Amino acid sequence: MTDEIDLSRLPPPEPYDEARDTAQRKRLMEAWREPPGWKIVTAVNNSYIGKWYLLTSFGFFVFAGILALMIRAQLAVPGNDLFSQQLYNQLFTLHGTAMMFLFAVPIFEAVAIIILPEILGARDLPFPRLSAFGFWCFVIGGIFVCGSIFFGVAPDGGWFMYTPLSSDPAYSGLGTDIWLLGLSFIEVSSIAAAVELIVGVLKSRPPGMRLNLMPLYCWYVLVVAGMILFAFPPLIAGDLLLEMERAFGWAFFDPDRGGDPLLWQHLFWIFGHPEVYIIFLPSIALIATMLPTFAGRPMVGHSWIVLSAVGVAFLSFGLWVHHMFTTGLPEISLSFFSAASEAVAVPTGIQIFCFIATMLVSKMRPSVPMLFAGGALAIFVFGGLTGVMVALVPFDWQAHDSYFIVAHLHYTLIGGMLFPLFAGIHYWYPFVTQKNLSARAGKWSFWLMFGGFNVAFLPMHWTGIMGMPRRVWTYDLSDGWAVLNMVSTIGAFVFAAGFAVLALNVLWPRGKAPLVKRNLWNAGTMEWAAEVPDKPWGVRSIPYIHTRYPLWEQEGLVDQIDRGEWFLPDAEEGKRELIVTDILDARPLFVQRVGGPSFLTLGAAFCLGAVFILATFHLWAITLIFGAGFVGFTLWWLWTGTSLIPEKPEKYAGRGLTLPTYAQGNRSPGWWAVFITMTGDMTAFMGLVFSYFFYWTALPDFLPSAAHLPGFGWLLLGLALLIGTWAMTTAARETLGHGQRGLAMALLIGALPVGALGIGAWCWSAYSKGLDPTVQSFDAMVWMLILWMGLHLLLNWVMHLYVAARVKFGHCTPEYRADLMNLTLFSHFLALTAVTIFALLALFPLLMGVGP
Amino acid sequence: MRHGSDKQPRHFSAPGDAPRVIDQGSVWILVAAPSIWAAHFLLSYWVAAIWCAKTGPMASLFEPRWIIVALGLICTALIAWLGVIAVRRYGGVFVIFEEITDSSERGRDRFIGHVALLLCVLSVVAIGFTVIPGLVFATC
Repeated sequence: MTDEIDLSRLPPPEPYDEARDTAQRKRLMEAWREPPGWKIVTAVNNSYIGKWYLLTSFGFFVFAGILALMIRAQLAVPGNDLFSQQLYNQLFTLHGTAMMFLFAVPIFEAVAIIILPEILGARDLPFPRLSAFGFWCFVIGGIFVCGSIFFGVAPDGGWFMYTPLSSDPAYSGLGTDIWLLGLSFIEVSSIAAAVELIVGVLKSRPPGMRLNLMPLYCWYVLVVAGMILFAFPPLIAGDLLLEMERAFGWAFFDPDRGGDPLLWQHLFWIFGHPEVYIIFLPSIALIATMLPTFAGRPMVGHSWIVLSAVGVAFLSFGLWVHHMFTTGLPEISLSFFSAASEAVAVPTGIQIFCFIATMLVSKMRPSVPMLFAGGALAIFVFGGLTGVMVALVPFDWQAHDSYFIVAHLHYTLIGGMLFPLFAGIHYWYPFVTQKNLSARAGKWSFWLMFGGFNVAFLPMHWTGIMGMPRRVWTYDLSDGWAVLNMVSTIGAFVFAAGFAVLALNVLWPRGKAPLVKRNLWNAGTMEWAAEVPDKPWGVRSIPYIHTRYPLWEQEGLVDQIDRGEWFLPDAEEGKRELIVTDILDARPLFVQRVGGPSFLTLGAAFCLGAVFILATFHLWAITLIFGAGFVGFTLWWLWTGTSLIPEKPEKYAGRGLTLPTYAQGNRSPGWWAVFITMTGDMTAFMGLVFSYFFYWTALPDFLPSAAHLPGFGWLLLGLALLIGTWAMTTAARETLGHGQRGLAMALLIGALPVGALGIGAWCWSAYSKGLDPTVQSFDAMVWMLILWMGLHLLLNWVMHLYVAARVKFGHCTPEYRADLMNLTLFSHFLALTAVTIFALLALFPLLMGVGP
Repeated sequence: MRHGSDKQPRHFSAPGDAPRVIDQGSVWILVAAPSIWAAHFLLSYWVAAIWCAKTGPMASLFEPRWIIVALGLICTALIAWLGVIAVRRYGGVFVIFEEITDSSERGRDRFIGHVALLLCVLSVVAIGFTVIPGLVFATC
């Protein structure tokens, strides 16, 4: 047991005073107001960013949907030449890419940014400017990738962009570069959102909301954001390898030079399969959140759903090879993945049974959201069952790359992701707009989409079994697929009509319609405590939560919040403030001030976007200029907006609670953000480590003779120097803590040349032995690992200079040294990376008996 | 407040303690069982993949089979031990209609113990799934 303040025995609130209430509301409004007019683009508040994110994702959904209709139009009749084969390749590639990367994943972030803080009873997420930055990256990257089709250079290698088709620029033109760089850029925004959401769930819960009281939605967000962190980085590593081969001829995927095209498939699907669950879980989370509302009782098996979310998250990382059953891997390997693919049905089934049990033990209120949820479960279970079928290796050999797979994946994604999302839109629309959707139009759109979907995709199971391969441009009448394809095309257009009804219903101007009543569904979760009409501050005062469904189980809570009886009811200093709590029990730790509207995030996103876009066209000089611009904007943003020393060390938060206004180390959200980002970074690095061992396993003569290994002595020297920079950084933290500012700065700056010498020794160890990355896969791998270290060291240098300047100008002091603590954490990860690279390059060949 | 990395500006700390995530809250137990599954899965896959790559396509799987079975037994034993911790130290119980909603440190512990116990069961089942092909296949 630890020393805990008892939040249930706080002193009573001060008696209500209308004048005080009005004054507090005025000050809160002042602090949280968004910029007027066109300056609204600088807004960072979660309600704005979330809404924009949602609408943009739906914009890309419509775009990708139109591509789908074009595909269906092309396939409607045999021997069709409505679109050229070349354009058709671009259509299906962009359809898959946009649906997966520009709709399905971002929509999770969009919905979470809108509703997560409100479900947590928080004013905003801990890094609102990071959300804004991520959103603008997403917009720029998305438009770049999608816009390419209007210039006839869209990617055309399929949404998983298999090598060697994609690694040879002669086969695949600019499109593949656009795909690689555009998506790497969008992955940046996904990882940014993942960091934001993990820290949000862990540190921004309202006081008292312990882990056992946390709403299911938050569990799902935590799990999915964690999955993003482990799934996306291997693809970034793969993108890096592929782009290095395409742009500079490094030998990674070319069998003639000791490469292996299969490596790409591994890296892609280590990302790609968990991604399916990254898409599915947050949508099923929406059902888990609204089901109790319509059942009028808590979810049956709350903890079982937590179990299934965590279980699915883990198991989903053991499925990737089931996309590669036909690549000639040993059957024993295939069967492991087949077994895991079937095992994942167990936790997935558990959550579905919990939903059904909740519906059985209660009297469900019929409603449009529940209609969509019901349709979702029906379609998803169907798709899940065909999933168990294709998890069986012999069946997969028959169905692989046929329309059966197309049918299966659309059943799981539309049932598991799209329909729950539509249910969520009908459920939360009144929360976002304070207006009601038309239920009649809702029912029309549901039945059109449900019917249209099944008419479109059910026949594909048969076309697939009859042998129609996916991605085929056209077919002959004698193939016998004509009638089924025509039926599918009709179904697709009916589905599109249903979506059009939904879109009209959502976008219909409702200026004069009456406002909805507060908490109109009678839900139990905190987001429905929001006032009608809505206020920009999210929650009037941040309450103490001690139940799972506070609005049902904590009597009078809404009135107490409204009267400002709980924490932080005021904004005396005119700042945007949140309460940061601890991970386990949500004990209040400190008051965090977050940034308001800013151009800096926009500038940083714009410059980073330009870097990726210009790199596509190999315009290196301008790329560098924009790269410097990105660094400049980011540093400016950090300098003026993060780890600011507060004007007073503590402040009164209400109800007898006084909290510090600053935190550092593992109490501060910033430290956790660094930790989480670097975990993702390590995962990308593990992708490279995997590649190294993959080559060693797959290629008998991957390791060269001793004469062509990087020099052991130089590698050892380099490691010693790199560990030296780490030691100097850690020492700087200690010396600053003891008040020796000058010594701390000297250590920080002195670490730069030591690191430079270290990486120089590594470069020399490879260069002096004549290792050439364009000749052999081993050489390319060695240089890649050194390059990886070098890039991180570069970042490390920028941070060292930044922190040294912060110390110099008194923003980082012996008392307040969050910046330096975060830098130390970063350098711990760097040291780990250096040790691992040394083990791979120096020790592993020695162990295998080829060393000096 | 024992580690240098957790030193806050003097005099102004939050009222009460924050439990440390690893030793006092032990959320690690939530991820431990599925992590053991992951380790077992990857090790089994690597053993088989390296064995088949280094010995030839039609090699006998007799030797790696016992490695896979032994791995399965070790991992199951480890998870069983985790299950015992979840029950004894956290008071985890195996119930379907779980209502561990008390707002106390002990309530949070019991909830973590309960979910950890469920994850132990799931992980053992999943390990069983992985061992079966190891027993069935005679050659790569």
